Amino acid sequence: MNAWLHLARGPLFWTALVFMVLGLLRHLALTLWETARAYHRAGDKDIPVRRVLQDTGRWLFPLRHLGERWPYSLTTFAFHVGVILVPLFLAGHIELWRKGVGLSWPALPNAVSTVLTLVVIVAAFALVLERASARASRALGRFQDYALPLFIAVPFVSGLLVMHPVWNPFAADPTLLVHMLSADLLLFLVPLTKLSHMILLPLTQLVSELAWHFPPDAGSRVGVTLGKEGERI
Amino acid sequence: MATPTRYAYHVEAAALEMSDRPRRFLEAFAAILRHGSYNVALDAYARMSAKCGRCASSCQLYQSTGAPEDIPCHRSELLLRVYRRYFTQSGVLKARLFGGFTLTDAYIDEMAEAYYRCTACRRCKATCPLGMDHGLVTHLARWTLAEVGVIPRALLVSVREQLEGNTHNTSAIPLPALKDSCEFLSEELHDIYDVDIPYPFDVEGAEYVFFPAVSDFLMEADTLMGNAAVMHLTGASWTIGSHNYDGINYGLFYSDRMMERIVNQLVGEVHRLKGRKILVGECGHATRSAWYVPTFGGPDAPPVVNCLEYAYAMLEAGKIPLKAEKIPERVTYHDPCNIARVGRITEQPREILKAICSDYVEMTPNRTKNYCCGGGGGTVSIDEIRAFRTGPMGQRKATQIRDTGAELVVSPCANCKKQLRELCQDNDLGDVQVVGLHDLLLRVIDFGTNGNGGAAEDAALGAESSGSRGADPMPVTAAAVATPDAAGEEGEES
Repeated sequence: MNAWLHLARGPLFWTALVFMVLGLLRHLALTLWETARAYHRAGDKDIPVRRVLQDTGRWLFPLRHLGERWPYSLTTFAFHVGVILVPLFLAGHIELWRKGVGLSWPALPNAVSTVLTLVVIVAAFALVLERASARASRALGRFQDYALPLFIAVPFVSGLLVMHPVWNPFAADPTLLVHMLSADLLLFLVPLTKLSHMILLPLTQLVSELAWHFPPDAGSRVGVTLGKEGERI
Repeated sequence: MATPTRYAYHVEAAALEMSDRPRRFLEAFAAILRHGSYNVALDAYARMSAKCGRCASSCQLYQSTGAPEDIPCHRSELLLRVYRRYFTQSGVLKARLFGGFTLTDAYIDEMAEAYYRCTACRRCKATCPLGMDHGLVTHLARWTLAEVGVIPRALLVSVREQLEGNTHNTSAIPLPALKDSCEFLSEELHDIYDVDIPYPFDVEGAEYVFFPAVSDFLMEADTLMGNAAVMHLTGASWTIGSHNYDGINYGLFYSDRMMERIVNQLVGEVHRLKGRKILVGECGHATRSAWYVPTFGGPDAPPVVNCLEYAYAMLEAGKIPLKAEKIPERVTYHDPCNIARVGRITEQPREILKAICSDYVEMTPNRTKNYCCGGGGGTVSIDEIRAFRTGPMGQRKATQIRDTGAELVVSPCANCKKQLRELCQDNDLGDVQVVGLHDLLLRVIDFGTNGNGGAAEDAALGAESSGSRGADPMPVTAAAVATPDAAGEEGEES
């Protein structure tokens, strides 16, 4: 078991982390490159920067825009808060970083982390139920839309049990192994799934705006490429 | 020849006879991606679309139908699926390993229906947490479909006349008929208001070259009289170009290739006249497509001014004298999507209306969050889908209008006006009159003459139901040249 734990905490974790970071950096680099290219080619370079920034900020901190399905939105918001804060600011995680690479930073109190973990777990199940119960999101839902919230809950459930052994009906080491393996797999999935929005979200308002800023001769060039430049309408 | 058999709208027979459409569609898609900048958005959308369904609640069509195919995100997925499969490395690899989705004729038909059930009003953009612009996807999908011949005939014939016809305008109005029309409007202004207001043609070096929706010359006489009155009173140097007098640009609705040509045609007329600015009339999509002048027009592109911006600036400057009496009827304002969605023109018309109306009320929601009239994206020109436009697509707007209790609905857009009139007719709102903003402004301008105010009101509002006005003042010559194909002659866009 120790060997498995070592593998999950060491090589597998680092592999998944590097894969995630490189994958997200690739997304970021490609998006930035294409964004810069689109801007360079645009006939009208007058980008409404203020509106783009406002929209970006609005959706990075969307509490004021819960919309008609506010329970769904509120659940999503709570879910994101926990998913972002707990892995990064759990005292136990920071301790591992300190031991492993000598880095540390302020941690959340364990009680707060516990509450946030519970919020994530409840929210993950609620998201699935809310998706299934609302006609529009049910119609749109793919396998990954149901599976990802539930899978994200796995390291949080197992992590909660690791932190609070008295609540844990299972043996400690297998629980810890499930926690680490599920977290490793989750990191691996980030750049391959819609979870990649964690790096792309700040750019989407800009790319949506830029796509409307056409290259001045794009239409003519398409006509030439398709052999339609002299064709009657 | 047109056929109604394949889609909800007519397309030309040649489009239905085209062979090997999936291959041609993919070739067109590839060319558009190569030369355009759509890929930057498609890449992001394809990677992270969350399918949360928030957009559904913002869409007036989905609110009416509740049908999954009318969810904006579902519609966008139709094209994103093609993009992922054929234009991303992972999609190509997955297809090689596991097979799966293949573009077929039937799938193209599904897209052809779906992307013309959307007016590209872009209301859903504001509700997408991930910033997906479904209107952009509709815009792109329509262009790609157009390259395999899927274009509503109503749009196609208008663009054909505008770019290749003798008249170079979408309503096929010959220049002599246009001049007769303008002469008639001048006489009307003289008879009603006792003022001499000319419609100047081909004035070299004019500050403003005027491009209304050309159908206004046939259908919206009061709007054009209001435009001319404002220009005259403010001492503006303006002109109508005899080579091109149509601000309509249906390219915006189905092909950037056509849009580019139409914008360049418009800029060419301004350069020919050595004009300094483009003045766009009361037309939402004409304004939005004119905002592409800096894109297509090069470094010497003339600035673009919408007539609402001009009128508001002049009113603020005190150059438009108003009578003491205001418009007494309850008035509300419909924001055309193409000028209001991004917040560019929302306050100017309201300030004008508040200054001239004694009972102005807002629709809810409004401004950037307004609902489309139901005929946006060029669909108002497609008469064969009127039941759809004034039914499921327009019901939300009809409810909005009814809730205001307004007698007059103002919309500074020829397309919105046509749609709203049909909407009112089909939704038991026959007492509501739909007018342009300059129509009302004209009623309260103080010309300092002994003009007949009562007659002016009658002229501005018309004596019969909404929609009937516009036919009355049409000169015989103009009426005679109106094309028999109503779908091709009446449209612009909200």
